Amino acid sequence: MFMKMEKLIRSPGNGFKVEGFEELLRHARRRVDTALKRIWRPEAAVGVVESPLGDLLVAMTHRGIVLNHYLLDDGDLAATLEKIRLQLDLVENPQPIKEVGVEIRRYLAGEAKALRRNIDLHLAASPFQEKILRKLQEVPRGAVVSYQGLSAAAGAPKGARAVGNAMHNNPVPIYVPCHRVIASDGGLGGYAGGARRKVQLLRSEGFALEDGDVKLPGKSVWGHRATNIYCRTNCRTAARADRSRILFFADPQHAQQAGLRPCKICRPDARVSDERAICRKT
Amino acid sequence: MGREKLQLPIAFEQIMQRHEREIMRYLLRVSGNREDAADLFQDTWLRAYRAYPTLDPARDVRPWLYAIAVNLCRNRARDGARRARVIVAENEETPAENTRGKPDHALNENDGYAAVHLRDLMSALPARQREAVHLRYFAGLDYAGIAAAMDCSQDSARANVSHAMKKLKSLW
Repeated sequence: MFMKMEKLIRSPGNGFKVEGFEELLRHARRRVDTALKRIWRPEAAVGVVESPLGDLLVAMTHRGIVLNHYLLDDGDLAATLEKIRLQLDLVENPQPIKEVGVEIRRYLAGEAKALRRNIDLHLAASPFQEKILRKLQEVPRGAVVSYQGLSAAAGAPKGARAVGNAMHNNPVPIYVPCHRVIASDGGLGGYAGGARRKVQLLRSEGFALEDGDVKLPGKSVWGHRATNIYCRTNCRTAARADRSRILFFADPQHAQQAGLRPCKICRPDARVSDERAICRKT
Repeated sequence: MGREKLQLPIAFEQIMQRHEREIMRYLLRVSGNREDAADLFQDTWLRAYRAYPTLDPARDVRPWLYAIAVNLCRNRARDGARRARVIVAENEETPAENTRGKPDHALNENDGYAAVHLRDLMSALPARQREAVHLRYFAGLDYAGIAAAMDCSQDSARANVSHAMKKLKSLW
């Protein structure tokens, strides 16, 4: 009789056929699906993209690009994947990732003037940081703001350091232009992907910068958010201006394009031949 | 740093499709009734989904899934025992006595009775031995898998199974 016991113990139904097993499974599966919906992590396609700024780890959800991460060293890829797996279900889907790569390369080469992909700030570390990042998206190509200016614009006038943190934790650099945030004195400040990349990005957006530069070039102008006027950086009105309301532009053309008018005192739009006259006035 | 290094874990959906049947079968067998099995099935997958990102991709998912199921069954048995002490009146039948009747869907009469007999013997085993037998013979895990699922050493998994089998043999 023992042999039979051994046979029984291995048999799938323990001697019984489970009646309506499929139906039970379907029913249970429906319940699981409903319950899972509440804790569902968004699905995201991931892939590595090559660019002049080095390799980037890119992730896309159905809402848009959710991660664009500079791969700085060999261990970085695995560590980052492990981290984002807690918030995203990663799937393989090379097509949208490839498109992002093309867009970034064209943008850096100056062929595309804007990045037009939707952005998903799902990975933003806090609601405050998300707000800062959204506000930052209003800074156009060819302009930069100060950490202080951005914090004031986002409604936290004393939050310049917090803005710095938000920039450091920006999950989608390049797309959310954290490279367009600099120190209020015109110094370029740091960058999560390294200052070299910041210079490279700003240069591709029209700033006359060389590798190793740490300050904005002299050609750049200050724009006032309140008055919609732009000045040379050495204009006497600019020196008095509220720093939190200042945008920096790469050159007068960019300021003009953003809808600002030139200052009548320092005449930043004047040609080089007129410079002498203006110097006396300022 | 190449594309080929990007190794993604298997999608959770796929894991569910691959293993939902055996998990359901296991839970049905261990809990012995459909409502409990359905509840445990839901809890198992919810827990698995929450914990999935922290699972080492190199690890085998099956023992991991069974570990979750085993723990949930243990919890339920414990809570059930607590509840039963409060609710069930003294002269009521115990569940084991309920199952002694003739099964409806036996392959043939003797098999059916043998199955009921086996089930009774199993329910008399100590909990850990019962779990080990379930995992070894019903789920078909190897000893490394049982050890992972029950969070014990391979040796004790082996010992649990062999003690249980010896006992079943002697009582059969």
